[in-house]
Amino acid sequence: MLSALQPRLAGWKVQLPLIWHLARQELVDRHKGSLIGKAWTLIGPLVNILVFVLVFSRIMGARLEGFGAEIDQYTYSIYLICGILAWTAFAKSLSSITNLYTERAHLITKVKVSLKALPVSVLMAESVVYLISMVFFAAFLWLIGFPFSAWWLGVPLVFALQLAFTYSLGLLLAILAVYLKDIKEAVAVLLPVLFWTTPIVYVSDILPEWVMGYMRFNPIYQLVDAYRDLIMYQQWPGGLGLAGVAGLTAVLLLIALWLLRRTERDLRDCL
Amino acid sequence: MITVNDLHKSFKLFAKPADRLLEAVTGRARHATHVALDGVSFQVGEGEVLGVLGRNGAGKSTLLKLMTGVLMPDAGHIHIDGRVTGLLELGTGFNTELSGAQNITANALMLGMTHEEIDARRQAIIDFSELGEYIDEPLRTYSSGMVMRLGFSIAIHADPACLLVDEALSVGDGYFQQKCMKRIREFKAQGGAILFVSHDLNAVKVLCDRALVLEGGRVVHEGDPEGAVNLYNRIMARQAEEEEGRHQTRHQGAYGTRQVEITAARALGRSSGSSTLSSGDTLELTLELQAHQALDDVALGVLIRDRFGQDIFGINTHQQQGAFSMAAGERRHIQLAIETAIAPGKYTITLALHSGDHHLDDCYWWHDGALQFEVAGYLGSKFSGICRLPCRVELDAAVPQASEETP
Repeated sequence: MLSALQPRLAGWKVQLPLIWHLARQELVDRHKGSLIGKAWTLIGPLVNILVFVLVFSRIMGARLEGFGAEIDQYTYSIYLICGILAWTAFAKSLSSITNLYTERAHLITKVKVSLKALPVSVLMAESVVYLISMVFFAAFLWLIGFPFSAWWLGVPLVFALQLAFTYSLGLLLAILAVYLKDIKEAVAVLLPVLFWTTPIVYVSDILPEWVMGYMRFNPIYQLVDAYRDLIMYQQWPGGLGLAGVAGLTAVLLLIALWLLRRTERDLRDCL
Repeated sequence: MITVNDLHKSFKLFAKPADRLLEAVTGRARHATHVALDGVSFQVGEGEVLGVLGRNGAGKSTLLKLMTGVLMPDAGHIHIDGRVTGLLELGTGFNTELSGAQNITANALMLGMTHEEIDARRQAIIDFSELGEYIDEPLRTYSSGMVMRLGFSIAIHADPACLLVDEALSVGDGYFQQKCMKRIREFKAQGGAILFVSHDLNAVKVLCDRALVLEGGRVVHEGDPEGAVNLYNRIMARQAEEEEGRHQTRHQGAYGTRQVEITAARALGRSSGSSTLSSGDTLELTLELQAHQALDDVALGVLIRDRFGQDIFGINTHQQQGAFSMAAGERRHIQLAIETAIAPGKYTITLALHSGDHHLDDCYWWHDGALQFEVAGYLGSKFSGICRLPCRVELDAAVPQASEETP
């Protein structure tokens, strides 16, 4: 078992510098030609968080019950940021991975690159942005005196699960998108739908009970909820939902890998 | 060492892209097939250069793409000891927005080099490409020749065991092509295996140890480059004839009074049997004339021009044998044998029928570029310049006696 795995791991190890290089390019390319260049990578997340904090706590004055008086005015902002950072990482990764093979066709048709490894570069780039955002978020929490707990250690684990889920779904969509141009459009249309049907911006309490019954099956809801449990409510998010996401990830991954094995030769032909 | 064994590759043509997915999943056929490679096998040993010839669509590019691993074969095996790099079309996956230096990193990583290896060779790559300060400019500002230089430079410095070279090389200017050729020879001398795909027949003859000809996805010849080039030329000639038959353009370029016409003309190398011959071979010109009225002063003129339109050699029968006469309706065959000790390149033959010593009085027939031929490689000793002049060299010549009457 282990010996069968070794050549595969070695294969990934060879690809790793290239994947990391592509991820870096993705991050840097975005701001190519701009005056302050790399600084934009930091400014984007910072401004986002400032906007969420200022608009929702100071201007709109939205707040949630059950927190201490000093941080009361920031509760909604914290709630929002927990969810929206994770969502942004998911949505951006998924839409770029979906278009990845057609967009990188100039590479795939000229150089031998692993189709399985390519999406990892997108995930790496988005993870870096997520990490930067989380550092700003943590700094903000520290500034307003929000208590930190050991539950924070769960955040990387949930994020790892989110990455695995994004990878599996993305790989599947990326393969399909080569054959069906409609996939790209469908993802672009359905992502906002998913965003607004999932309690990210609003609180789940406002949804009718029958809707919440189905919400359990929404993997994004499970993930977003887990971040909030860990960061805001400082409690164990409940394993069943996350186990469900892990199970779904495994199923998607198996389907995607099967499809790739079945179609890779064709797929490379028609790029 | 490259071993290619019974390689098959066909491309499926689908009416709709979705059919492709349905077929890939269900396995039921929904396509028309185009066979690109049909059982190709060959070996390239260490320090060997194998030329690959074939007209457009014969399967050359497919073969190269399969060898780099960009495409996957339907059946058959490719075994290559070590790294394979190549110069396939222009820029193997270059990003035009990035600078040359950044592209070196990206491209070398894609070839499987580590960061340490890249840093160690970066300067050598830049030096060989002769891009100088341009290396920090974005690639979109480069000329195609500069892109080729960078691509070749990375490919040759990546320590490949096997190098694939295709027509992209011909984008470079003469100077850089020579530099590449020199480097390819060095690579060969170090034991590298090279697959050389080119339409430059001269380069194939000079560089390759063996050559194969692909036609319709099959190897129709494998052996010495000379034979491969000749076969390739016969294939090309057949294609040209088919094309000509379609367009009926045979006599369009001719003008004159047409009192006498050239109804058929052929130019073949004596040893090659095709319109491509080695320098030093004899070009056999066979012409068929038909007179429409009686003429007692006819001369045939033949003029060879190079690709710049420069007259290389011209002769007419008036200068040689004097004029000949033809009766009305008479047909006549004329044969010429010209020793073409001229430089490799493409040439045209202009044919003329006129009276007297020149065509200015009565020009019956004049056809510019009526025939074409190509000189590739040398039969016998090489020379530089446009033609071989009769020449005798004495290395141990007796010292001439100094004349005593010198003032």
